[in-house]
Amino acid sequence: MKKLSLPWIIVPAAIALLFPLVTSDQYLLHIGVLVLMYIGITVAWNILAFGGILSLGHAAFFGLGAYTVAILYVDFGVNPWIGIVAGGLVAGLGSLFLAIPMVRLRGPFFTLATLAFVEVLRLLAIWAVPVTNGSVGITTPADEGFLYIAFQDREPYYYIVMAMAVLAIWASIWIYRSKLGYHLRAIASDEEAVQALGVKTNRIKVLALVISASMTGVFGAFAAIYFFVIDPATQFNASLYSIQPALNGIIGGMGTIAGPIVGAIVMTPLGEWLRVTFSGAAQGVNFMIYGIVLIVMVRMLPGGLVDGYHAVIRRLKGKKRPEPAAEAAASTDKKENER
Amino acid sequence: MEQMIQIVVAGLMLGGVYALIAVGLNLIFGVVKIINFAHGELVLVGMYLTWWLWLTFDLNPYLSLVIVAPVTFLLGVLIQQFLVGPMINSSPLMKIFLTLGLSVFLQNLALFMFGGQFRTVNVPWAEQNLTILGISVTYGRVTAFLVALLLVFGLFYLMKRTLTGKVLNAIVEDRETAGTIGIPVRRYYLLAMGLGVGLAGVAGSLIIPFQAAYPLAGAHFTLMAFVVVVLGGLGNMGGALVGGLILGVVETLTGTYLDPGLQQVAVFIVFIIVLIVRPQGIFGGAARNAEVGLK
Repeated sequence: MKKLSLPWIIVPAAIALLFPLVTSDQYLLHIGVLVLMYIGITVAWNILAFGGILSLGHAAFFGLGAYTVAILYVDFGVNPWIGIVAGGLVAGLGSLFLAIPMVRLRGPFFTLATLAFVEVLRLLAIWAVPVTNGSVGITTPADEGFLYIAFQDREPYYYIVMAMAVLAIWASIWIYRSKLGYHLRAIASDEEAVQALGVKTNRIKVLALVISASMTGVFGAFAAIYFFVIDPATQFNASLYSIQPALNGIIGGMGTIAGPIVGAIVMTPLGEWLRVTFSGAAQGVNFMIYGIVLIVMVRMLPGGLVDGYHAVIRRLKGKKRPEPAAEAAASTDKKENER
Repeated sequence: MEQMIQIVVAGLMLGGVYALIAVGLNLIFGVVKIINFAHGELVLVGMYLTWWLWLTFDLNPYLSLVIVAPVTFLLGVLIQQFLVGPMINSSPLMKIFLTLGLSVFLQNLALFMFGGQFRTVNVPWAEQNLTILGISVTYGRVTAFLVALLLVFGLFYLMKRTLTGKVLNAIVEDRETAGTIGIPVRRYYLLAMGLGVGLAGVAGSLIIPFQAAYPLAGAHFTLMAFVVVVLGGLGNMGGALVGGLILGVVETLTGTYLDPGLQQVAVFIVFIIVLIVRPQGIFGGAARNAEVGLK
C-alpha cells in the first residue's frame, strides 16, 4: 500500500473532530453519526474483502449485536457499555455458523449463503417472540447519562461513534499489515497457490470472518443504543446493513484501506438525501438509483474511487497506467510483498 | 396420515416450479459462467407482468404465457447483450456486483411501480380442488407442476438430443476451444441467457395464481434456486429436478407442522446439512463445480 501523505490524514480528522463545534444542528450531527457508523461497518466488512471474500451477510452480525445489547439491557439490566462488548462477542460466535458454508463454498456461492443467513436470522427474530418480542421489537430505556450511553444532544454520540470508527480503522490497518492480512491478500489473488504453500487457508478465512463479524456486531450494538428502538425488519435489513456496506466498499475501493472510508463518506449523505427526496409516492427510486450506481461503477470504475483518483493523478503527472484498474485492488500490494 | 400425504403432494407441486427456476439458473452459469443474483427478481418480472396483463386486459394467466415467455426471453437477451456480455472477462466479484445491482434495481422498480402490497391473480378455476384417491390439490398447483415438468424435460431434450444442446454443452465444457472451432460463442450466450430468464419468467406466470407477488419475493426465489442447485449438483439438470422437489416438500411440511415463518429457516438447515454431509451435492457433478466457485 502506498503511504498516505500526512495532509490526507490530518485534514479529514480535523474536520471530523471540529464538526460538532461548527454546527449544533441535530440533523447534521445525526448524519455525522451515520457516516461514522457506516465507516465502521464498511471497514469491518472490508476485512473479508482483503481476502477477496464478498459477504452480503453483515446485517446478520449487525442485528446480533443490536439484539444482544438490547436484551441484556432490558431483561437483565446489564449496562450498555458491557452490552456493546457482548454484542461483538455474540456476533463473532454467530458468524461461526457461516464458517460451514465458508469452508465448503467459494465465491458467489458463499455470498449467497451469507445473504440467506441474514434472512434466517430475521425470520428467527420475528418468530422467537418470548426473547425478541417478535416483529414489534424492543425499546431500550432512556436512563440518561454517560454511564447508560443516553443523551439529549447528539454530540456525545458523535464522539463515541467516532472513537469506535477510529479504533476500527486502526484495527483494519493493523490487520492489513499483519501476517493475517498478507495471507488474506494472497488468498484473494490465488487461493490454490496459497494452499499449496502449506498455509491453512480455511483457518485464515474463518478468523477474518469472526473478526469482521465481531466489529460489525459492536456497531450494531451502538446503533441499538443510539436509535432506542430495534426490530427485525430494521436491524436484519439486508439493504441497509449488508448491501450498503458492500456498496460503500465497491464505490470507495474494495480491499484497500482508504476505499471503505471514502465510500462511506460519499454514500451515506447521498443515500440519506436520496431517501428523503424520494419518499412517499416515489418510494423505491432511491434504491433503484443505488442499483444503477452499482452497475455503472463495475462497468466504468471497478477499482473504486480511490483507484480512479490514483489514475487521474498518474495521468496528470503524465505517467502511463501500470495496470488495468480491475486488478488494482488485488495487485497494489505485490510490490510490498516482494520486498 | 392422509393430511400429511396431501401436504407432501402440495410440496412436490411447488417443488416442480422451484426446479424450473433452478434449471434456468443452472443453464446460465453453466454456459455464461455467471451467478445470476437477479434470477429471483426475473421470476418477479414474470409474476408482475402476468398480474398487470390480468388487471388491465383481464387476460388469463395461462394465456399470458404467450406474451410473458417471449418478453422475458428478450429481456434475458438484452441483459446479456448490454450488461453481462461486455463484462465476460471481468473478475467473478465484479460479475456478482453487476447482477446484484440488477437485482436491487428490479426489486425497487417493482416497489416503485406496484407498491409493497401483495398482488395475486384471481382465477376461480385454479382455486378448485382436483381430488384423486382422496388427495386434493388445487388445479392451479397441478397446472404449474405439469407445465414446469414439461419445460424442464423440454430443456433436458434440448441439451441432450439436439445440435443446439450439443453446442451449448461444448461451451459449458470448454469455452475457448468451442470458440476456436468456429462456434459463435457470443450468440449462444444470448440464447442461454434468454432461455434461462425466459424460464424464470414463465415460472412467475405459473405461480401467481396461488403465490402473491411483492417486491421482496425475488430474494426468496433466488435463494431457493441456489439451494436447489447446490443440492442437485452444479450442471446436473436431473439433480436440480430432485432438489427442487425436496425443497418444495421441506417448505410445505415446515409451514404446516412447525410455523409458516420458519420455512426458509428449514430450507437453510437442509442446505447446511447437505454442505456438511455431501458438499458436492446429492448427485455430484463435482468436477465442473470448481469453475464457478463451488468446491
